[in-house]
Amino acid sequence: MSKRKSKQVDTSLRQFIKDLGYVSGGAALLATTPWLQSFTPDKAKEIKKEKARIGFIGTGSRGTYNIHAILSLQHAEIVALCDIYPPNLKEASGLCPNAKTYTDYRKMLESPDIDGVIISTPLYLHAPMTLDALNAGKHVYCEKAMALTMEQCKAVYDAYQETDKVLYFCVQRMFDKKYIKGMQMIHSGLIGDIVGERCYWFRNHDWRRPVPSPELERQINWRLYRDYSAGLMTELASHQLEVCCWAMQMVPESVVGTGDIVYWKDGREVYDSVSLVYHYSNGVKINYESLISNKFNGMEDQILGNKGTMNLATGIYYLEDEAGGKKSGIEQLIGQIGNKLYASVPAAGPSWRPETKEKYIAHNILEGEFHVNDGLSMIGALKDGSDEILSAFCQACITGEKGKNIVEEAYLATMLCHMGNQAMAEQKKITFPEEYKIPYMKFS
Amino acid sequence: MQRIGIDTGGTYYGSSKMFHGSLKNIMGTRFDILIIDQNRLKSQEIWNDIVFELRRLDQIFNRFDSTSETSKINCEAITDPVHVSPEMWFILRSCQIYYTRTLGLFDITLNDFSKVLLDEKAHTVIFSKKDISLDFGGYAKGYALLKIKDLIYQAGVQHCFVDFGNSSILGIGHHPHGDSWKVSIENPYDQNEILDEISLKDQALSVSGNTPSYTGHIVRPTSVESVKAHKVVSITSDDPLDAEVLSTVFMMTNDMEKKRITENFKVQNIAEYSL
Repeated sequence: MSKRKSKQVDTSLRQFIKDLGYVSGGAALLATTPWLQSFTPDKAKEIKKEKARIGFIGTGSRGTYNIHAILSLQHAEIVALCDIYPPNLKEASGLCPNAKTYTDYRKMLESPDIDGVIISTPLYLHAPMTLDALNAGKHVYCEKAMALTMEQCKAVYDAYQETDKVLYFCVQRMFDKKYIKGMQMIHSGLIGDIVGERCYWFRNHDWRRPVPSPELERQINWRLYRDYSAGLMTELASHQLEVCCWAMQMVPESVVGTGDIVYWKDGREVYDSVSLVYHYSNGVKINYESLISNKFNGMEDQILGNKGTMNLATGIYYLEDEAGGKKSGIEQLIGQIGNKLYASVPAAGPSWRPETKEKYIAHNILEGEFHVNDGLSMIGALKDGSDEILSAFCQACITGEKGKNIVEEAYLATMLCHMGNQAMAEQKKITFPEEYKIPYMKFS
Repeated sequence: MQRIGIDTGGTYYGSSKMFHGSLKNIMGTRFDILIIDQNRLKSQEIWNDIVFELRRLDQIFNRFDSTSETSKINCEAITDPVHVSPEMWFILRSCQIYYTRTLGLFDITLNDFSKVLLDEKAHTVIFSKKDISLDFGGYAKGYALLKIKDLIYQAGVQHCFVDFGNSSILGIGHHPHGDSWKVSIENPYDQNEILDEISLKDQALSVSGNTPSYTGHIVRPTSVESVKAHKVVSITSDDPLDAEVLSTVFMMTNDMEKKRITENFKVQNIAEYSL
């Protein structure tokens, strides 16, 4: 990496924190996003010149995405790479020629020269690898979701309570400026009381990757098979359910849903169409829908309040009292008369009919340009918070400071995914299992 | 007139001596009125009367309400003569006259009004053909404005502006800071384009047209085909009912019909905008 680029991106986390108003008087914001407390500009000064030594477990597409992000950081260096699939390992090695390569992650964990590992592997490997790495005394960053089963999630959560190591999961919306600002607006009452939450993720793609030889099918297309993946829920919904709970500051107590393989009947085992309703104790619901054979609706995390609507994924909010878009003719006329003006009123036209949807005025959550994820990439989107959370993890590898709320949020989001899958598989309402509740969660 | 229990709302702008009354959903659209130069109490009284009248008319004309007089006729006149109220008798006779004067193009059956048989003596109506039903969609707003105009004059209001669903406007007297009420007509296919500006002084304006999201609601009775042309018609008249009826009729007329129908009416202005 060139020095210039390193410096440029190294400042991005600081700039990001600055943009969010942390420099001074940002106490209110810090209270709503305690996981960012460790990354104030003052804290960043403490780690200057130090580098986190990072090992990669899994160097596939998401792993490579993460490698690029780490390579651009001044406070991290990649010292080890591990993958069981030789083409991927070779490609990653090309990006990090000084890193030692492994095909067995346990061997890699034995190395004393690694501070932290970044796990970008199929879901079924998240729990065993995370537990092994923590046991080996490494700080751990793992892709979402937390684990393949509820039991594994709890095992990881319990292990985290015991360890003094840092554990991060890629709940990147917690590091996405649009979401942070949007949540601040929600929690300050901009959209009133939250009365509903609607999240959806639509794609039109079979979710497959080309397989060089048939025996690699499950290894490469692991997302499609139940022993390796929990399907749309863990791959997509986990992010969005986390956002819903973040907005509500509560966890749903139950879920009903239905899931099917509607279109991609190609031998896969996970649903390609899911519709679920999560229910909070106060009656507010999350309506969740994901379909991967039609992309018309795209992706959105929508928080509905009695005074407004927050579309977090697109970074836009709307206020209820501005419905109608522009002022009606009669409103303009009232304004004219009030101002003693005489002009024509744009009242007349073909009959106005009550519309099924009124026009609203769109307001941006962030000022200036910001990035919106179209939700179509299987690997990762630009500026969705992933770079910031990786940077934060590397900083934590140096300071040893645990990230607040991150594991808890990943845990509750993943648990909700598994409850959803169970509700769909068993065709019944699933309530949050008592044995999996943790003190962090509020249900009422 | 009994008005107990009517929650009519309304806003009084004291500095402008102006009252704004608004109903968000009446006769399938919205209704707004500005009453000028009346005090708060008087304005509120007038508005209450208007709301009462509009709700009463909505109840008569609503064919989706099974208890309305229109529903009763639609349901029973297929088989038996239905005795109608004096007001409905007046309305049906008026529709019959409009049917004749518009060469059969104004037709509340959207099919064949000649099969609606009115018995002058018994004040009954019967349909002599199956599949006939009454739809006052192109009539009710005009009739309501006629009634409201009377009500406003009787109350001694000299200046007032009524907007009934964008398409039916009544300008009584003039704007507090002008000599009439000026209304511009928007192009429904391009809201930034103004097609025309019309000054109303004790006059009604009715506008008909297709819009991008709503095409095909105007049906030529003789062909049972909807009018799909991208056009807007505006009619200005002293009589709100004439304006209402003609704005729909002129959406479907050919040149010859236009000429003949115009001779039957006293209208101030007919404008047609092809878009």
